[in-house]
Amino acid sequence: MFIRGAVLGAAVMGLLPAVALAQQLAPSPTLDAIKARGHVECGVHLGLPGFSFANDKGEWSGIDVDFCRAVAAAVLGDAGKVKYTPTSVQQRWPVLQSGQVDLLSRNTTITFSRNASLGVNFQGINFYEGQTFVVRAKSGAKEPKDLDGAAICVAAGSTEEKTAADWYAERKLKVTIVNFQKNDDAIAAYDAGRCDAYTAGLGALAGQRIKLKQTGEHVIMTETISNDPQGPVTRQGDERWQAVVRWTLNGMIAAEALGVNSRNVDEMKAKSANAEVRRLLGVEGNFGQLLGLSDDWIYQVVKQVGNYGESYERTVGMGSPLKLARGKNELWTKGGLLYTPPFQ
Amino acid sequence: MTNRVTSLLRFARRRLFATPLDAVITLVCCWALARIAEPLLRWLVIDATFRGATRADCTGAGACWVFIRARFGQFVYGFYPIDQRWRVDLVAVLVIACTALLAVKRLPHRGALAAGLAVVMPPLVLFLFYGGFGLPVVETRDWGGLMLTLFIAIYAGLLAVPLGIVLALGRQSRLPAIRTLAVMFIEFWRGVPIIAVIFLASLILPLIVPSGIGVDRLARAVIGLALVVAAYMAEAVRGGLQAIPKGQSEAATALGLRYPAATVLIVLPQALRIALPAMTNEFIALLKNTSLVLIVSILDLLGVAQAALADPAWVGMTLEAYVFAGSIYWLLCFALSRASLRLERRAALR
Repeated sequence: MFIRGAVLGAAVMGLLPAVALAQQLAPSPTLDAIKARGHVECGVHLGLPGFSFANDKGEWSGIDVDFCRAVAAAVLGDAGKVKYTPTSVQQRWPVLQSGQVDLLSRNTTITFSRNASLGVNFQGINFYEGQTFVVRAKSGAKEPKDLDGAAICVAAGSTEEKTAADWYAERKLKVTIVNFQKNDDAIAAYDAGRCDAYTAGLGALAGQRIKLKQTGEHVIMTETISNDPQGPVTRQGDERWQAVVRWTLNGMIAAEALGVNSRNVDEMKAKSANAEVRRLLGVEGNFGQLLGLSDDWIYQVVKQVGNYGESYERTVGMGSPLKLARGKNELWTKGGLLYTPPFQ
Repeated sequence: MTNRVTSLLRFARRRLFATPLDAVITLVCCWALARIAEPLLRWLVIDATFRGATRADCTGAGACWVFIRARFGQFVYGFYPIDQRWRVDLVAVLVIACTALLAVKRLPHRGALAAGLAVVMPPLVLFLFYGGFGLPVVETRDWGGLMLTLFIAIYAGLLAVPLGIVLALGRQSRLPAIRTLAVMFIEFWRGVPIIAVIFLASLILPLIVPSGIGVDRLARAVIGLALVVAAYMAEAVRGGLQAIPKGQSEAATALGLRYPAATVLIVLPQALRIALPAMTNEFIALLKNTSLVLIVSILDLLGVAQAALADPAWVGMTLEAYVFAGSIYWLLCFALSRASLRLERRAALR
């Protein structure tokens, strides 16, 4: 729908820009409300290392928090204009459904049933999460199937236990699952050398690896045995707001793919000859206006928050204590899964 | 001095080493205590790190109290803006000053003063915390930590005590309609888990109520808690009411007092005195139950502690966080029970 709108807009633009604009802008109560109140209401996780947490001074950061900031930069031109509502697992849906937040950016797995039955839409993937393993570097195990014959520590009765057991049974590989009461016990046992591997989600593992005694001696496998893609969530309805959220994420990924980052964005804006870069940064076309935003919306996002890669490295990647490799969360051109439709 | 030593020795011989069996039990207990105390003391004090600014400073095998120091502001005030924290401090000073003032026995018009403060203080504190009328507004979502724990407990208590008294009186009423209503209310709220009440109050309400008339998230939690605690309080007060002989209210009627006067002047003062220990008990339970608001992401003391554990700069400080939060809760509850003991003694003297 957006694409068609954009084509139409481009066609009529030369003649009657104002009229074209008035015709295309569907009402967006959410956007109007954000502009009126002057900040974005963002639902985040209460505390998950690298994804969403508050530091000693009470400032929020993390990859999910960065996305809230990006949306604020796109809509209001100021990444700082966000108010965070920490949400618990039980609480996140009602908080979104009742309109207490404009969007959820809260490591939430995209699933069919959630999309179909909760009245919410997922606006893309900002983190390819999946269950994987942490092993000692010297063990030489590189991917899950190398763990044939290994002992794996898990919390008893967890989804992780079942997924791992099923995965290895299906491949006729023999592993010993060692059960513990709690996750903390399981990882402590792994640290003490009771097991060869410990399994959990990629993001959780990165957070837990910091707790291990010799953090540097443990590696997290990039290949996963389950697919739990996570991304920002909005309520259904208000298509224009949904497009803003979706294309803000796409814009961050596109900026990385096009080599635009927070350091060179001014130069790119002034000098780039690449048509897509010029459209992305609002030099050409009126893409921002088509959504009811200012044309330099993605410029503001990249300038203030950074492109996807910068955000990733700063929060969960090599620039953070979590030191998580890009893995699947790398551009499709570099062997990852991040891909964005073009800004055309 | 020597007198003391000899009496201590005598006590030890008589109570701890009277028979060989006693001696063995005493020694075993001492040994066990030492076995527990030694590693505990090591972790808490001897091997613990107190100085420094980051996790890297914690090199010892013991606790890393640097973490508590770095996060202390958040543990006490939550995300309350740093330049506005004086307002919370002012409230603390005011409350302590008022309590100290009322503790002076010879104070003239003490009763009236207490009643006046009870009316003036809650809105004043609310104003100082929230702001408005010239003070910058601090939204309730920024409140947190110890300040919020105490706020929830005290305000839920302030709502619950009068409601509980009314409910208890209602349950004793001779009018069937009032009695049934009171019984239904009490039995309903007593039968529902607190966690479910908080959850419903904060999640279902906004879905039912049209958006725009949003009742504050914190207010919803406080009211939810107050309703449950009121039901418990009502039962505590009822115990007190039942202990008052019927003759008391009959005598009051004979003197020409009507029901309200007889209840307020004769029955309730005696009943509340009897119910005081049970009511204190309920209040202590309430103070600890405030931690349940974590389920709706209101960051009380325990919530802030838990959220702090997610900071990669401090990851792995679980024990320190919980030991700290636990000791604060214990201190508060202990202080409460001592204060109530004092009140009881004084009430008994009259």
